[in-house]
Amino acid sequence: MEQYLPIFALLVLAVLFAAISFIASRLLSPSLSTVEKSAPYECGIIPNQEPSERFPVKFYLVAMLFVIFDIEIIFLYPWAVEYMNLGAAGYFAILLFSALVFESFIYLISKGALDWGPLQLNRNQSAIAGKPNAFSTATAGVRIVGTEGRFEHAKEVA
Amino acid sequence: MIGAQPYLADGVDLGDIVLAVSKATIAFVVLLVSVMLMVWFERKVVSRLQNRIGPNVAGPFGIFQTLADGIKLFFKEDLIPERSDPLIFKLAPYLSLVPAFLTFTIVPIAGDFNADNNGSVTIFGRETFLQVADAPVGVLLFLAMSSVGVYGIMLAGWASGSKYPLIGSVRATAQAISYEAALGLSLVSVIILSGSLSTNAIVDVQAGAGAGFLPNWHLITSAFVPFIVFVIAGTAELNRPPFDLVEAEQELVGGFHTEYSSIRFALFFLAEFMNTVTMSAIIVTLFLGGPAGPNLGLLPGWAWGFVWFFAKLLVFLFMFVWFRATLPRLRYDQLMNLGWKVLIPVSLGWLLLLSGLRLASENSAGVTELRFIDSDSFNTVVFAGLAVSIFLVATLLLSTALRDSKKNRLKEHGLVMVDGSEPINTGAS
Repeated sequence: MEQYLPIFALLVLAVLFAAISFIASRLLSPSLSTVEKSAPYECGIIPNQEPSERFPVKFYLVAMLFVIFDIEIIFLYPWAVEYMNLGAAGYFAILLFSALVFESFIYLISKGALDWGPLQLNRNQSAIAGKPNAFSTATAGVRIVGTEGRFEHAKEVA
Repeated sequence: MIGAQPYLADGVDLGDIVLAVSKATIAFVVLLVSVMLMVWFERKVVSRLQNRIGPNVAGPFGIFQTLADGIKLFFKEDLIPERSDPLIFKLAPYLSLVPAFLTFTIVPIAGDFNADNNGSVTIFGRETFLQVADAPVGVLLFLAMSSVGVYGIMLAGWASGSKYPLIGSVRATAQAISYEAALGLSLVSVIILSGSLSTNAIVDVQAGAGAGFLPNWHLITSAFVPFIVFVIAGTAELNRPPFDLVEAEQELVGGFHTEYSSIRFALFFLAEFMNTVTMSAIIVTLFLGGPAGPNLGLLPGWAWGFVWFFAKLLVFLFMFVWFRATLPRLRYDQLMNLGWKVLIPVSLGWLLLLSGLRLASENSAGVTELRFIDSDSFNTVVFAGLAVSIFLVATLLLSTALRDSKKNRLKEHGLVMVDGSEPINTGAS
């Protein structure tokens, strides 16, 4: 553990630096907090909804896939250090291991687990696709978003 | 060979502690000064590339501009938003800054690696390396610290209680972990070539002349591909342009640190630039031989190590700034596709190809197990052929999978591929 002595020393220095900075800032800076200042940032508008606690499930999926790959990589490190001493046996062992992980990776890609963003079509396919949807720009010009409640209001006026 | 610090071979006494503390202090000061200069360098170079002058008032050539900005931030009001989680909001800058400091410990910044020297020098009668600590698990420490740094960003966004930081931090986390896989895989190639996780040993392997007039750098001996993957993944890990979706100001205001002000913001900023300097230093260490270089006289050997290290470091610092000034930001789906569908398969495939070819080339040198026929040339051909054919089969499988996923998505919209082919697993949900 002695090799880590300088790292601990630097760790202490870094924490001290941050702590002293905070204290200095506290002493030097004004504290004139108002309701407007401490509200969540929203370009001057009064925020009308809580920040969402849920985000797309794709992000969780990416995190789970990462765990699979990270574990594979962690297994690769000790193998790589000893690689030249293991010879051909080591090579075949890692081939088998990589094949198993790669196979699941291929399956994931083929299932579309790593597809992000809208489907990309070429011109012919867009023509076949026919009726415009939220993603098509053929007739609508722009995709209409963020109009919740607006058209109802327009109807009432009319 | 495990890179233990020679000076710590037998017990710890007061001298060791003094040496450790002085090394840490020097590294601390060097890091802070280098960050100050890096911010100035970036602003100045970007300005010149955009035909502006840039900072030129504070000090000669505006070199103290960063210092002035830092001092100003001390006097700014420190706001804690009302909807935030105060404890985690205050903890996040520490989690971002401390790993940024610690990553630098594994970088050898000077030393004489020529002939039989292993870069060690004698200070206070103790033999030591010119790096803060030569941990036997050096490279793992780098990966671990870059993972902890992600927590700082993630918790900062989550604890702010505001939507832009939250979106920024979720993006940052997904991006960082996606590219960490590619980063780790491209590193394995370097470890195969050096046979050690210690950064001192990695530099030592790269010292001296390689084939012909070329240096023996891993950049060349691993045939460029792991280096390119590492630079791309490293840029993405740093959240620097063109991978700065985390703080895409047109969409997310300031990204994860939108709600941070005063010194807390300064610490995030400091960590970001410190990471840039450290990442450049690590690229130099792993792929360009770090401080290894010829001794041209006049200066002592270890000082030439520093000169070479600094020259190589500047190239990468300039490269990161150049990226920022030149490349437009990626779209999120392009970012994810590049990380998962290009960089990970390429680095894994290249690793297997490289390890097969290395086994083939060194088969006569002591590798005795599992020979097919007792002839070196035959075994060389077998291993090289095997490695190349595996690479080709994997490429074929991957392209099939990519086509199949596209076909499935088209089918959901009632379409087929341009060539009219149907997906293989039509039962896919």
